[in-house]
Amino acid sequence: MNMWRVLRDNDVHMRIVPMATGESRRAAAMLTLAACTMLIAGCGRDHGGSTAPAPSQPDPSAEVITSVPLGPVAGAAQSTLATRLPNPYSNDAQAVQQGQDLYIKMNCAGCHGYGAKGGMGPNLTDGYWRYGGVPASIFNSIYQGRPQGMPAWNPALPTQDIWKIVAYIQSLGGSYPAHLYQAWMQGDKPGDVVPGDVAGTVPPGTSNSSVPEPKASPAKPQSAPAVNDVAPAPGTGK
Amino acid sequence: MSYLRTYGPAGDPGTRLGWGLGIVSIIVMAVITLLLLGAILRRRARQGDPRALAVQRDEGGMAWLYIGVGVSAVVVVGCVIWTMFTVAAIAMPARTDLTVQVTGAQWWWSVRYQNDDPSRIFTAANEIHIPVGRPVRIELLSHDVIHSFWIPRLGGKMDVIPGQTNVTWLQADKPGVYRGQCGEYCGAQHAHMSMYVIADMPQDYLNWTRNQLQDAVAPDSMATRNGQQAFLAHCAVCHAVRGTPAGGILGPDLTHLMSRRTIAAGMLPNTPGNLAAWVADSQALKPGSQMPALALSGPDLSAVMTYLQTLR
Amino acid sequence: MQSPDAAAPLGPGRVMNDARANFAPNDPPGEWHSQARDYANTRYSPLDQITAANVAKLRIAWSFSDGTSNGHEAAPLVVGDTMYLVTPFPNLAYALDLGKPGAPIKWSYDPKPTPLAIGKACCDTVNRGATVVDGKLIYNLLDDHTIALDAGTGKELWRTKMGDVTTGVTMTMAPFAVGNKVYVGNSGGELGVWGWLAALDVKTGKELWRAHSSGTDKDVLIGPDFKPFYAWMKGRDLGKTTWPAGMWKTGAGAVWGWVSYDPETNLIYYGTSNPGPRVPSQRPGYNLWTSAIFARDATTGEAKWAYQFTPHDQWDYDGVNENVLLDLTIDGKPRKVLVHFDRNAFAYTLDRTTGEVLSAKPFAYQNWSHGIDLKTGMPKVVAEMQPKPNVKLSNVCPPDIGGKDWQPAAFSPHTGLVYAGIFNLCMNVTDHPQSYIPGTPYDGMEMTRHSASGPKGNWGEFMAWDPVAGKKAWTIKEQFMVMSGALATAGDVVFYGTVDGWFRAVDARSGKVLWSQKLSSGIIAQPMTYLGPDKRQYVAVYSGVGGAAMVSSAQPGFPPRGGVLYVFSIDGDSPHSAPGMLTTEGTAPALRSTGGKP
Repeated sequence: MNMWRVLRDNDVHMRIVPMATGESRRAAAMLTLAACTMLIAGCGRDHGGSTAPAPSQPDPSAEVITSVPLGPVAGAAQSTLATRLPNPYSNDAQAVQQGQDLYIKMNCAGCHGYGAKGGMGPNLTDGYWRYGGVPASIFNSIYQGRPQGMPAWNPALPTQDIWKIVAYIQSLGGSYPAHLYQAWMQGDKPGDVVPGDVAGTVPPGTSNSSVPEPKASPAKPQSAPAVNDVAPAPGTGK
Repeated sequence: MSYLRTYGPAGDPGTRLGWGLGIVSIIVMAVITLLLLGAILRRRARQGDPRALAVQRDEGGMAWLYIGVGVSAVVVVGCVIWTMFTVAAIAMPARTDLTVQVTGAQWWWSVRYQNDDPSRIFTAANEIHIPVGRPVRIELLSHDVIHSFWIPRLGGKMDVIPGQTNVTWLQADKPGVYRGQCGEYCGAQHAHMSMYVIADMPQDYLNWTRNQLQDAVAPDSMATRNGQQAFLAHCAVCHAVRGTPAGGILGPDLTHLMSRRTIAAGMLPNTPGNLAAWVADSQALKPGSQMPALALSGPDLSAVMTYLQTLR
Repeated sequence: MQSPDAAAPLGPGRVMNDARANFAPNDPPGEWHSQARDYANTRYSPLDQITAANVAKLRIAWSFSDGTSNGHEAAPLVVGDTMYLVTPFPNLAYALDLGKPGAPIKWSYDPKPTPLAIGKACCDTVNRGATVVDGKLIYNLLDDHTIALDAGTGKELWRTKMGDVTTGVTMTMAPFAVGNKVYVGNSGGELGVWGWLAALDVKTGKELWRAHSSGTDKDVLIGPDFKPFYAWMKGRDLGKTTWPAGMWKTGAGAVWGWVSYDPETNLIYYGTSNPGPRVPSQRPGYNLWTSAIFARDATTGEAKWAYQFTPHDQWDYDGVNENVLLDLTIDGKPRKVLVHFDRNAFAYTLDRTTGEVLSAKPFAYQNWSHGIDLKTGMPKVVAEMQPKPNVKLSNVCPPDIGGKDWQPAAFSPHTGLVYAGIFNLCMNVTDHPQSYIPGTPYDGMEMTRHSASGPKGNWGEFMAWDPVAGKKAWTIKEQFMVMSGALATAGDVVFYGTVDGWFRAVDARSGKVLWSQKLSSGIIAQPMTYLGPDKRQYVAVYSGVGGAAMVSSAQPGFPPRGGVLYVFSIDGDSPHSAPGMLTTEGTAPALRSTGGKP
């Protein structure tokens, strides 16, 4: 949609503004208004106001991400290109911090716990992922929500913010690197040694990603995932 | 922003003191300069005597010392006493008529109007309305880093420190709009962290309060209903609009957004054009601000704008 | 296990006081039609076959796994020769035929609630049980529907939608029926819901009235008949004016606990939950009518009086715990009272006709208050124990789940004592101011809980409370939480279960533990007792840990989840357990000669 381009162009006008003062600022604002009006008038699409994802950075587009399969449906899902999308904010300490802030401020902690060890919602640190533990799957879980009560955070949160939350979750060590989607599907843990090419589930060097992934911690026996439909609830009994 | 003239008892004694000490300093400097010049001239007058040692002790002259120290002591002690009286004069008055809790955040001010009757407590942003001629207690909190609360025409600075409640007060004796500014460097947009204190005549203040206490007007047309939906979808996790499910506390409460003079913490006049520009891409206007680039579609932006303009 | 600070236990045959209860609706002695068995919420059974003398011979007669594994908090119901069970989400219903060997399933029903509800239930997907009235089994689904099934066939007769689960409203409480009305309330005190109790028509499921816990007097059904005892609860629209502008709409006051009914005055009594958000600095004011109790006209829903246990509740203490209606003599005067063990750790005795607090004494360790001022009804709050935003506060006692949670008490007229499972807990808490985002927690309390008696201290306790003296008659310390309901019987044996899975029988007078049986999972359900078609007394309890008990899941020895109903009888006997139930066709002569048991 070329409204994107309009917005980007629009940016260029707006970037003048902060250095402007007084008169010139007013002029810039009027210019902006004009640009906005054009933008509004020039866009023929009317979709009722809430569904269009709108990444404003050239990061992996949300439309691609939402093609990530929900899980091993009928055992046949392939690791599509989309599942291998790396998180643009992986290993970015500042983004991880911002992601943690958002995790608390967006009430994620209320369900998944302060420290993400679970509560009303599942534990996000234990290597067990109902809907996939690669960054793209986690993004997707946040972006479009999940059927057991996880709200969809699109369009409330911009995609960059969702990626930052994913970066925080990755930093907790329970997720899978982007290229290990197949491994997740087959129950292999990151770090497992897979004999020969029998399974080929954790093929070394299959990652086409140059983005370094956080090293996920090997699964520990005591952190065996709760396979209950509902995670333990350290709540208050209502 | 000038602090050379103030308009209230929280600032006036300090301003008087500032002027006074300034004038005293100028007089002292002038006197000393004159004396120094005199001394220099007198020294020159004696240069004719070839037997004179390079340094020699004058007879007498101790009186100059006594007089000098005496006069200085009187002036200094006088200034100290004056300063102490001034500090006492701008101390928190025994009774204040209103308490406002101001929370500094990067980079804006949240303003909560306290009241003994909880149902008269409400939250606004970046504008502090006060009744003219009444002392107002200001409680200062920080959401993130150290800021400083400063309304130059109404009084001195008070630091805003995370994890601590600092208290100051102000009073405006003349109705009007007084600009304030964060007085402690607090990050990239420190310069764009202003606010306005608006001193209203008592009746205006009551009317303003009454309006602020109202819930937001319910949408009454298809366009405003769509606008509200777009607002709830895109904006409500950070912004609150009372009377709707929008209950975010991360950004300014927008229940009566259109009653404010400026947006983005005093950065831009609150005009439809500026508001649209801000919603469309706040990061271009105020890079680094917590308001993310929403990248709304044209129709969504138009819908949100339609709704925002109903928030009077 | 007796606590040294407890008063002397009762000797045989002695009664502590003259406490009496009205056991209306006086169902047949061997049956159990509602969670509390009677309107007064005594959970007392007149059955007396099982006594202190023979209780040690209790053995499992049969058991039943319902196939679900989240917290099991309900009591089974018995009407005639049928037992009714409802499960946690997905809220299945079973009717078991007690007249047949092994109590096989007579019918079962799957109401198919939406899985969305799982993620909206704050504290596990529990259900606190059903009620049988007018030939219907009525219970609530987690996704905000009240349904009525034909008790004979399991056919769904009506289904009423009560709320919008996407906004965080769920339903977990047990409906309470009186005559042709059934009362239901919502859950979601942690999700910024608007709390209510509603009355439905038993015949049709039609909603007759709904009383909210905050808002204008109209919302709360407060009219001219409303006469609270204390001055600070008198005034117009207090459900709105004791909140910052607009905040009452997301102020919770959910009604997820128990309802009692006094047939003499036609009043119902119930409590409301904590205010939302749980961070108090966001909501200055008393936040009426949260963490409070209402007395309402059972027919019209009009409020008669109310009392707020914890004004401006800063610790999530709620007010939802059960109200046991008793008649007793205080200072020489006969009083109609209700006894309420609040989560705030005080045992309240209220005059149930006026709402006056007659006594309020702590039953568990607490340090948030210096007691309750009986003149004003106000707690004297300890300033240092009030949480502040983003500041960690250590050792606040009791914690959010209270000195006692929803697990209901039982009363025995034989002893005059009230029996209850309680906690011995404190918390460390940090408040984080919260945004209201519909369908997400409006909560903000970061907490850890620990025993009030140090790192190795006990988490639970089972006590007998003398409601006249306002003190414990005896108490039993348990390492794990006691979060099961209590059951009192005419055989003077009292039953309870522990979170680590022990089911115990206790002498009602002395507190002596007479029998214990370890079950498969932890016990947080309500035990009950009934008379089988064979006229034998059985005791039944669900085993299936979950709910708020999960706060202790890090304790070594914490059991896994489960969902099994255990039914006990003396020696494990049932008509079908005797030898020779089936004939065995043996082929080897030796076996034939001994008769070979299966």
